[in-house]
Amino acid sequence: MGLRSPHYRDFLDGRPPVGWVEAHSENYFGAGGWDRHVLSRVRERYPVSLHGVGLGLGSSCEQEEAHLRRLQRLVAEFDPVLVSEHLCWCATPERHLNDLLPLAYTEEALALVAPRVERLQERLQRPVLIENVSTYVEFAARDMGEGEFIAQLVALTGCGVLLDVNNLYVNQVNHGNDALAAMQALPRGCVKEIHLAGHFRGEHCLIDTHGDRVADPVWRLYEAALERFGAVPTLIEWDTGLPALDVLLAEASKARARLEARHALAA
Amino acid sequence: MRSLPELQQAFAGALIDATRAPALSPMLRGAGPIERLGIYRGNLYGNATKALGGAYPVVRAIVGEEFFEGLAREYARAQPSRSGDLNACGDRLAEFVSEFPHTRDLPYLPDVARLEWLAHLAYYAADAPAFDPARLAAVPAERQAMLRPRLAPACALMESRWPLARIWEVHQPGFAGSIEVNLDSGPDRVLVHRPQWRAEVATLARGEFRFLAAARDGASLGEALRAAANADPAFDAGNALAPWVSLGAIVALD
Repeated sequence: MGLRSPHYRDFLDGRPPVGWVEAHSENYFGAGGWDRHVLSRVRERYPVSLHGVGLGLGSSCEQEEAHLRRLQRLVAEFDPVLVSEHLCWCATPERHLNDLLPLAYTEEALALVAPRVERLQERLQRPVLIENVSTYVEFAARDMGEGEFIAQLVALTGCGVLLDVNNLYVNQVNHGNDALAAMQALPRGCVKEIHLAGHFRGEHCLIDTHGDRVADPVWRLYEAALERFGAVPTLIEWDTGLPALDVLLAEASKARARLEARHALAA
Repeated sequence: MRSLPELQQAFAGALIDATRAPALSPMLRGAGPIERLGIYRGNLYGNATKALGGAYPVVRAIVGEEFFEGLAREYARAQPSRSGDLNACGDRLAEFVSEFPHTRDLPYLPDVARLEWLAHLAYYAADAPAFDPARLAAVPAERQAMLRPRLAPACALMESRWPLARIWEVHQPGFAGSIEVNLDSGPDRVLVHRPQWRAEVATLARGEFRFLAAARDGASLGEALRAAANADPAFDAGNALAPWVSLGAIVALD
């Protein structure tokens, strides 16, 4: 499950029954202080994955050197089991928009992102996972679908994929993109982590709020993902209106039941 | 076909300024792009408001939730975020507030914002192990004055014509006393420091302020004590060091 500050106490005072913990890299960019202290304590007891939300590999402006340096330092210090970033853009030369914005799936974008992923992997001395994002609009300019874009990125850089199944579903509803086809476009061995989350049915489209239980159609897509990619470590993301730890653990156990069923099948 | 930088520029422009959304619309596919861009616009301002509210709880309490949302929106529009780390986006709020016409009747607000930003930086500052006073005792008396006291990375000093420490105090969560603040009870000299994990604000006498400021600027213990005594006849040189060592504000004597 994700490490969020309202649950810090649960992790310091007890030992919630989760297999691993994911932290948002940027929340631990400070040189010291409480958040870093908690993360070091958690790291002593659990495998930790670092999940970045602010690098913006697809921003057409220069990458922020200070951001890369902080990420590098964090990875060196905490030695996470996985490091991931989003396939999106988030800044222009004038301003950072601090959001995961939709990338145009063009050859031009691929030529921008692939070398950046390679450099990131070189700097961090490890492969990174790239996550598909949810979007509310899509650029008309496109040379390929999302799945194909990610598959090419994997082929060019050797990166892994963090497959967000809720995001695939949100994009299927919002744009008519076929979520199963996007999964079929990805090579079988490349998915190293899966994200699940709840969304919100807005007036104009589905909104990826991470503020609810995982929806039924997303659980069905998850089962299809496990069938294709195997029993991949899975995280429930919950960021808005964060409930008590028990509610999260209950969602996590639903995922675990499906994972175990897949494991049994493989054995 | 437009280039990727052109597409992203048009997209960013349409988020900042809704009147530019129709120009972007033909570059998008699917239904209702203008309305859907509104979701991203809401995220942009919502994220900025949340990040600023986290760094500036006292400013938020002073101006009220609704006004703060408007302030955050105007700030985000006028002062573009320059970092992928939202915790860094509030660094220019004090300057912005000092020019903001709608808060002119709150002349102390820019200084409150300055103080809160120092506290925000203190919260994320590097940890520093406490200094063992016994190490000072081991140094021969005649050499002690030449040692240089070093402040913890979380420490910052600030002077204001307003009673900042009191304004800060009455807006802390759980504060139960009288919330009355006499705005004429300044000026204030304060130390922002972090005894453990929470940033705190200590009021300083004139001499204490001089002493810590000299230490911050690299003076030796002897120089810092002289500067403090010159600035403040009431300065107690015999007790200058101990309280700050025990609070973890002075972390070394090099």
